[in-house]
Amino acid sequence: MSNGKTPKTIKRFNKGFIIAHWVNAGAFFTLYISALPMYTEFFDWLYPVFGGPAGARLIHRIAAVAFMLPLFIMIIFDFKGFKNWMKNIFSWKKHDLMFFPQFLREFFGLKAKVPKQDFFNAGEKVNSWLMIVTTLMLISSGLVMWFPAFFPSVVVWWAYPIHNIGLGLAVAVAVGHIYMSLVTARPSMRGITKGDVTEEYAKDHHGRWYDELQEEKQQRKQA
Amino acid sequence: MADYIKFVDVTKCDGCRACMVACKNWNDLPAEPEEFTGSIQSHNTLTANTWNVITYDEQVTANGNFEWLFRHKSCHHCGEAFCEKACPETAISHTKFGSVVVDADKCVGCGYCVNNCQFGVIQLATYVDKKGKEYRKAQKCDLCTGRLEEGLRPACVTSCHTNCLVYDDKDKVLAEAEKRLAKIKERFPNANIYNPSGIKGTTTVYLLADKPTVYGLPEDPKVALSQIVWKDYAQPLGKMMLGATTMAVIGAAISTAINKGKGEHEGGQDHE
Repeated sequence: MSNGKTPKTIKRFNKGFIIAHWVNAGAFFTLYISALPMYTEFFDWLYPVFGGPAGARLIHRIAAVAFMLPLFIMIIFDFKGFKNWMKNIFSWKKHDLMFFPQFLREFFGLKAKVPKQDFFNAGEKVNSWLMIVTTLMLISSGLVMWFPAFFPSVVVWWAYPIHNIGLGLAVAVAVGHIYMSLVTARPSMRGITKGDVTEEYAKDHHGRWYDELQEEKQQRKQA
Repeated sequence: MADYIKFVDVTKCDGCRACMVACKNWNDLPAEPEEFTGSIQSHNTLTANTWNVITYDEQVTANGNFEWLFRHKSCHHCGEAFCEKACPETAISHTKFGSVVVDADKCVGCGYCVNNCQFGVIQLATYVDKKGKEYRKAQKCDLCTGRLEEGLRPACVTSCHTNCLVYDDKDKVLAEAEKRLAKIKERFPNANIYNPSGIKGTTTVYLLADKPTVYGLPEDPKVALSQIVWKDYAQPLGKMMLGATTMAVIGAAISTAINKGKGEHEGGQDHE
């Protein structure tokens, strides 16, 4: 615990990672809003906001291009962070599986004893995978719908339901992700905005990562 | 009201194109001159402003003679219409006449119907509004629904001088079609009545002189699995899921708030 002193912070994300995250978030939100009036008639009033259906389509396409960028931003500007992310989401150990029952208790405000987690906890790993899958679904089907002339008609027909299912899943994932960052794990916001988190947060939420950092520190001291 | 259909007996067509002119005339559609491409066929295919076209397929007969296969190409008005299923704005619907029509007020010009029509019929027309801004609307043959409402036959049918186009009682027309089919079988062994059951029949039924594929028509069109998955499952499920996630989050927020109150007495367990 912090003992009243100004909390020490630890570097969590580099600029590249942060920018990639927010480009992704901004593009996703814009895509979502510009497609809503077409998804359900309940939101038809959004058409005039975009200057009519044609305006909504244009904005949707501009945002679509932005939506394809984050992967490249990450690889170019923060390859180390990207590698760490990839390494993390492919690693599934006992402490990852043990996370879920405890997380459910915590999610609904009950007492929980969550096992020590990696740089990305098991929930974030699941979030990452769902996000990757839905993003691939949305981008690939979206490109087919944008340029139908280049694809056989069967592919074009399937693009529509895939885009639709991808949207449903992606929104569910995004709602969960946003809720948790705002409510259950508020200090993590600092990590994806300023790039660092309090030592206390790291210890509490990402124990295994914190231990690794401490170990590295020890080794550096000894060397 | 007895069911009425439009019937096209292509073996009676002489390619005069009166139906094309009548359609343009009645529906007030602009002429669309096209480059000569080596065929006597006037237009390559249907467009948003050309709702019917007579296609001229050139064929060599069994005894080495040359022959044209004419077909009055237009919307089939499918019993189960791909365009109607594809439309996210429910702008496309069936009338009591069995015709499939586009509600221009609801249409936003997204083109989902264009990419889902298996016959390549429905297309987007571009218009310019008073402010000079372009907008698009889906357009196609509406079987002259406005005329049907007044007790008139479709414009193309009234113009046909060979009785290739007929608009009449469904049972009567189909019975006559069978008789006609038996009669022409000798000359056209592959002749068939094109009224695909996979899409619950059509309101424009054809008597074709050759296999559907010869005319570029799908042999046995069916409502695509992709559309069933999309409209009957994905869309309602997706809307449900949006609701479910929202409810889960609200539920979590409420129960967290309640439990937090209790937790403070026990010494605090929050992660902040």
